[in-house]
Amino acid sequence: MSHADARVGATNRDMLWLALIPSGLFIGLVWALSAIALPWQLQLDWVPSLGVGLDWYIDALSAQFLVLITGIGTMVFIYASGYMAHDANAGRFFLLLLLFMTAMVGVVSADHLLVLFLFWELTSLISFFLVGFKHTDEQARASARQALFITLGGGLALLAAFILLAQITGTWSLQAIVASGPELIEDPRLPAVLMLLFIGCFTKSAQFPFHFWLPNAMSAPTPASAYLHSATMVKLGIYLLARFDPAFNELLLWEVSLIGIGTITAVWAALLALRERDLKRILARSTVSALGTLVLLIGLPNEEAALAVIAFLFAHALYKAPLFFVAGNIDHATGTRSIDHLMGLRRQMPFTMVAAILASLSMAGLPLSFGYVAKDVVTTAKSGTDLLQIVSYGLLFVNSIAVAVAAVAAIRVFWGPANPAFARVREVSWRMLLPPLLIAIVGLEFELMPAFTDPLLVDAARVIAPAADIGDLSADHSIATFVTVAEVLVIGLVLFLFWEQLHRYLAGLARLDHYGCAALFERLLAGLTRVAAWHTKTLQHGNLSGYMRLTLVVLLLFGLGAWLAGDVDGSGLWASSWPAYEQGWALLAATVLISAGALAAPFVYGRLALLMVIGLVGYGSAVLFLFAGAPDVAFTQFMVETVLVVVAAAVLPHYGAPSRYPEPRLLNAAVAVAAGIATFILLAHMFSVPSDRSLAEWFATNSLPEAHGRNVVNVILVDFRALDTFGEIAVVAFSALAAWPLLRTMRKRRRTS
Amino acid sequence: MTLLVLLSISIVVAAAVYLSLSRDLFRVVIGLTMLGAATNLIVFAAGRFATLTPPLLTTVEDAQAAAVANPLVQALVLTAIVISFALLCFALVLGARLRAQAGNDDVKQMHATEPVAWDSVKPPELEN
Amino acid sequence: MTSRSIMLEYVARSAYWLMLLASVWILLRGHNAPGGGFIAGLMAVAATALLAIVYDVDSARRRLPLQPLQLAVAGVLLALISGIPGVWDDNAFLTHQWWGIEVGNNVFKLSTVIIFDVGVFAAVWGAFATYLFALLDTQGEVT
Repeated sequence: MSHADARVGATNRDMLWLALIPSGLFIGLVWALSAIALPWQLQLDWVPSLGVGLDWYIDALSAQFLVLITGIGTMVFIYASGYMAHDANAGRFFLLLLLFMTAMVGVVSADHLLVLFLFWELTSLISFFLVGFKHTDEQARASARQALFITLGGGLALLAAFILLAQITGTWSLQAIVASGPELIEDPRLPAVLMLLFIGCFTKSAQFPFHFWLPNAMSAPTPASAYLHSATMVKLGIYLLARFDPAFNELLLWEVSLIGIGTITAVWAALLALRERDLKRILARSTVSALGTLVLLIGLPNEEAALAVIAFLFAHALYKAPLFFVAGNIDHATGTRSIDHLMGLRRQMPFTMVAAILASLSMAGLPLSFGYVAKDVVTTAKSGTDLLQIVSYGLLFVNSIAVAVAAVAAIRVFWGPANPAFARVREVSWRMLLPPLLIAIVGLEFELMPAFTDPLLVDAARVIAPAADIGDLSADHSIATFVTVAEVLVIGLVLFLFWEQLHRYLAGLARLDHYGCAALFERLLAGLTRVAAWHTKTLQHGNLSGYMRLTLVVLLLFGLGAWLAGDVDGSGLWASSWPAYEQGWALLAATVLISAGALAAPFVYGRLALLMVIGLVGYGSAVLFLFAGAPDVAFTQFMVETVLVVVAAAVLPHYGAPSRYPEPRLLNAAVAVAAGIATFILLAHMFSVPSDRSLAEWFATNSLPEAHGRNVVNVILVDFRALDTFGEIAVVAFSALAAWPLLRTMRKRRRTS
Repeated sequence: MTLLVLLSISIVVAAAVYLSLSRDLFRVVIGLTMLGAATNLIVFAAGRFATLTPPLLTTVEDAQAAAVANPLVQALVLTAIVISFALLCFALVLGARLRAQAGNDDVKQMHATEPVAWDSVKPPELEN
Repeated sequence: MTSRSIMLEYVARSAYWLMLLASVWILLRGHNAPGGGFIAGLMAVAATALLAIVYDVDSARRRLPLQPLQLAVAGVLLALISGIPGVWDDNAFLTHQWWGIEVGNNVFKLSTVIIFDVGVFAAVWGAFATYLFALLDTQGEVT
């Protein structure tokens, strides 16, 4: 029973026509590249007040990525129409693919850093949805979360780097920033910028120590793995580093970091590839390894390296995507990806096998393949610099592993005795065969038909190294290259033959995983949730008095701060003279009323008495307002207190008789007294600062001539600040609206019970 | 004058804080209301007591030379009084409703009506 | 209410209209003398409260121009509408307009300010009447 048969049953609309979108874009792009000279620019306004514009700038480097995005995209769409044919969620999948393509096009075309950032994060987000596409699988969800945290978190670091760059150079344009390289290098903030930039790019391109998310991301459907996690998205970090390379190329920090991290990533990932049994994860590890090599190449200071980056990037996309398709085909047909079970499939899946061999030839860097050309320029680039010997050995090892991985994909799976479990396995449909075959053939043919690609790749390399004198790509097949390739081939084949032994040896090291980056990351996450849980338990305990006490203590600390900060002299307290005789007595009475009410309140327990006591405070305030020159406020307060009596009478029966609960009265009293003292200090502080009457005077002066009103307070309310008043009456009305259902349900409960 | 007003404001704040720390729901509501009253007084006091003439104009010249009390804070306090009255009404209604549902007016008991945490990390889920 | 006081009821009915009249007067004079929509609205609430206590909620509700919640919302809408003429005149929202009408020697000034203040009046009256009725309505059922 094959896996494919099991899925038959769900009928789906054919999504093949959707491939017209990327293919149309691809054809249009190719036509435009041949007809219109690069670079293309376009500037649109978006948020002009913030200086954010939709500025696009497409040069050869961008164009190279666009070719990859649309070209591989076309193949991915065709492939997915077969792969997802029986998946009930195929529609969602294609929607995500389309969104992803748009976001990718946005990233590589954007010139404004903020626009670039937005699309950059969008790709991370869509990657999250695709990794977690099988959302019923817990493992897939965990992987998706991990990928999201790492790539989105790195994106935030990138945003910080962008902001710093914009502050230093005064522009958001990527082109302009790269052009102002010398100015940048002298800035003291540069190390911070570089670190943030590295974090952003390394997380996206799965560099050490963030390398672990990419193999886990293999829980995405295979078309997505081939597209996002091999050919395009994970290369964005490379893209951005390559963009900035002209500015920082001379910098030692740049060089050392990129070469160091790139080498570590490449070697480590190659080593880990040996440990994997899952075909897709093996490929993912080797992708990480290739990405590390790319980072290393960008770090190389010489000019040939630029061409090496471009050629290797292109070659990798052209052989890795078909290999992913092959892995997908095998998974689709047999239901497993474990190389323990996969063998002898050459009879059942001949076309898949041909695609695998063609792609593997390129991956191994055999002559006549594009991979060979890439190897050639990489070798030239390396020979141009005095690399540390250890880096060279590392690269030799990495390339040998690549050969071994290629051999696993092309030989191990298809040769050997047939597995009886796969007797009924059939070749997959043409939709899943055409894409790998086509891309793999293109990968081979590039060596033979360089006319179209050569200029584009060379131009792209010139973007990275503007000053370089770069010839064409496929001219020089030096003896040195041939020797290197032969060396690598031999070592790689030896590794392939001893794959099982190596695997067993490395599997013994599994307990070291406990201290690996992935484990560290998971522990960090677990620690975060623990801290959150502790924090919730300690602060969100549900005890209202506890909340109040905490809030007040913090407020008191502010008061203390104001006191300690000095500036509190009591001068303001004595500033106003005692008013005229009658007014003076009235005001004294008012303050006495207020204070008496407040002082009595804590000792009164009866509900009605308590209401009367705060009524005392209210009426006292009203008297104060009345005699302090605020008749409107006083009237309002009087009316409120009056209506309050009725409201209170209505509400009291709901509360029943008061009960005196035992509570920490002394503590509460201490907090209360402290709050009172702090208030006094803060007020004294406020009164030591001269009052700004300019607004008050403006209102008073303009009230009569402009608003035809003699009552300035009313004029402010209904005219000058009418919008505020409008908001306030809306609040009052809506509070009634909100209280209405509360009361109605209460009434209903009473009636039903 | 200023000193007197500030002193009484501070007393109101202290009493309001004491009430709102209580376990009795009704006292909490009243405490919050008093806190609102204190805030109104503070805003009003911020306008200073240099002049006690109401801001009612007869001529344009009245307004100049700081001849009237600060109208701005009066406008602020006026709306604040109405809004805090609405808040008081709403709090009383909410408290009554809470009391009806929880069965008593002990603030300390009320968190028992919150769903019980069953996981150390995830928030508790509401029943029904 | 079981025990009724004829005297109080009689006074209350006339007091209600008197208080409403006074509140309207306060509302209209508010622009030039102490008063205005907020105070007048609260006064009207007091009048309604008087009626609701002395008679019952229903008779107080009957004597409102609209249902209390509708009154509150209508007030907010009225205030909203009063701001629109300002927009026609190419000014900001809520820029008030004035028109003078001459009758003999006196100039009666008419303006959108009054409409706005009436909106405030209605919103305050309606909102607090809602609270009042709701609280008084449930009160009798409490045991």
